Amino acid sequence: MKKHPGSNSVEVLALQRVSRRDFLKFCTLMAGTLALPASMVPKVAHALETAKRPPVVWLEYQDCAGCTESFLRASRPTAAELVLNTISVNYHETIMAPSGRQAEKSLEEAIREGGYITVVEGAIPTKDDGVYCCVGGRTALDLLQEVTANTAAVITVGACAFYGGWPATTPNPTEAKGVKDLISGVPILNLPGCPMNVDNFTATLVHYLTFGKLPAMDDLGRPLFAYGRRIHDNCERRGHFDAGEFVKEWGDEGHRKGWCLYQMGCKGPIAFHNCPTVRWNEGTSWPVAAGHGCIACAAPDFWERGAYETVPVHELTPPTAFPGVAPTPVDTSTVAGAVAGAAVGVAAGVIGTVAVQQLSKKEE
Amino acid sequence: MTEKIVIDPITRIEGHLRIEAEIDEGAVSDAWSSSTMWRGLEVIVKGRDPRDVWLMAQRICGV
Repeated sequence: MKKHPGSNSVEVLALQRVSRRDFLKFCTLMAGTLALPASMVPKVAHALETAKRPPVVWLEYQDCAGCTESFLRASRPTAAELVLNTISVNYHETIMAPSGRQAEKSLEEAIREGGYITVVEGAIPTKDDGVYCCVGGRTALDLLQEVTANTAAVITVGACAFYGGWPATTPNPTEAKGVKDLISGVPILNLPGCPMNVDNFTATLVHYLTFGKLPAMDDLGRPLFAYGRRIHDNCERRGHFDAGEFVKEWGDEGHRKGWCLYQMGCKGPIAFHNCPTVRWNEGTSWPVAAGHGCIACAAPDFWERGAYETVPVHELTPPTAFPGVAPTPVDTSTVAGAVAGAAVGVAAGVIGTVAVQQLSKKEE
Repeated sequence: MTEKIVIDPITRIEGHLRIEAEIDEGAVSDAWSSSTMWRGLEVIVKGRDPRDVWLMAQRICGV
């Protein structure tokens, strides 16, 4: 790590010609992603300017390199690779120059120095002593245990390193497992998703550099800033759900109009992730915006559930038809009731419908 | 004189690869490659609903 130019972010920024303004914009975005108050922005900026570049060891096992792609494509905002250049990636099979013995030597050196962050991508097979994934003649199981014994923290990226992902799906032929089921005694933070969203990875590192610890997590070890909110509650198509406007078939009128994808198997009601706000591809879009339902890729065992199967909605089953929001001709009492219902959600929607019916009765 | 070399891991690729080569007077005379990781994806998708398999198959390789 000492060979890299620039031992802290200020030097890296100077090398990259990132302006002070862009740097502070980046700090504000990160503070926002982490749900920190605006008053914390100077602290984030100070930490990024002074923190020593933490060494990172990136392990790939039963993976597809999709999370690596997510990591390499990080380019938001203009201060682009700021934090990703603020870390010092000492070992990463897909991007490192040396091969074979020389590659393994880099890993050994990092382990000897200690204090590194271990990033794990991909599941770890445990059947037949773990022979289904070997690197340099050693099993993933064996390597994971050795590398994590001397690490400061472990960050798992993607669904596979979280719970096993696709390789662990029934019948799980290699008895693949996630990191949290195999090691203990070190802090583990999970960034599930298929793939992980690099903005959340960056924000996690910013938190680590600013506060010297991992962010607050839920009972599955997922950071609350990214996995604390239900997709369904933040979905841009939620209004259509509440209004009973559903896509019934791919390419039908509702689909063309951007209606709710719940009946096509959208898992938004059981998924916790910040996709609707952080989005993907530099904030361009996310699956629901693109016209396909959420598959809940950040939830454990999500592959066990058919992508086309609907999920039970918490407490209330959505109505398939509400009275029209703007029926013609316009009856003022009906519109008032239906609008009130749509505004406050399904439960209120039902009450609104009842109210509308009662109003109609009174008029009779 | 024949010398045997092993390169494992091969880096800058997606997946896990091991190459063993026999070198005879400065030239490769024989070589073997092994993929050192197996996920069993073919076994997992067998019998599954095609409406799921397209989502899985696109994730065989993330590059």
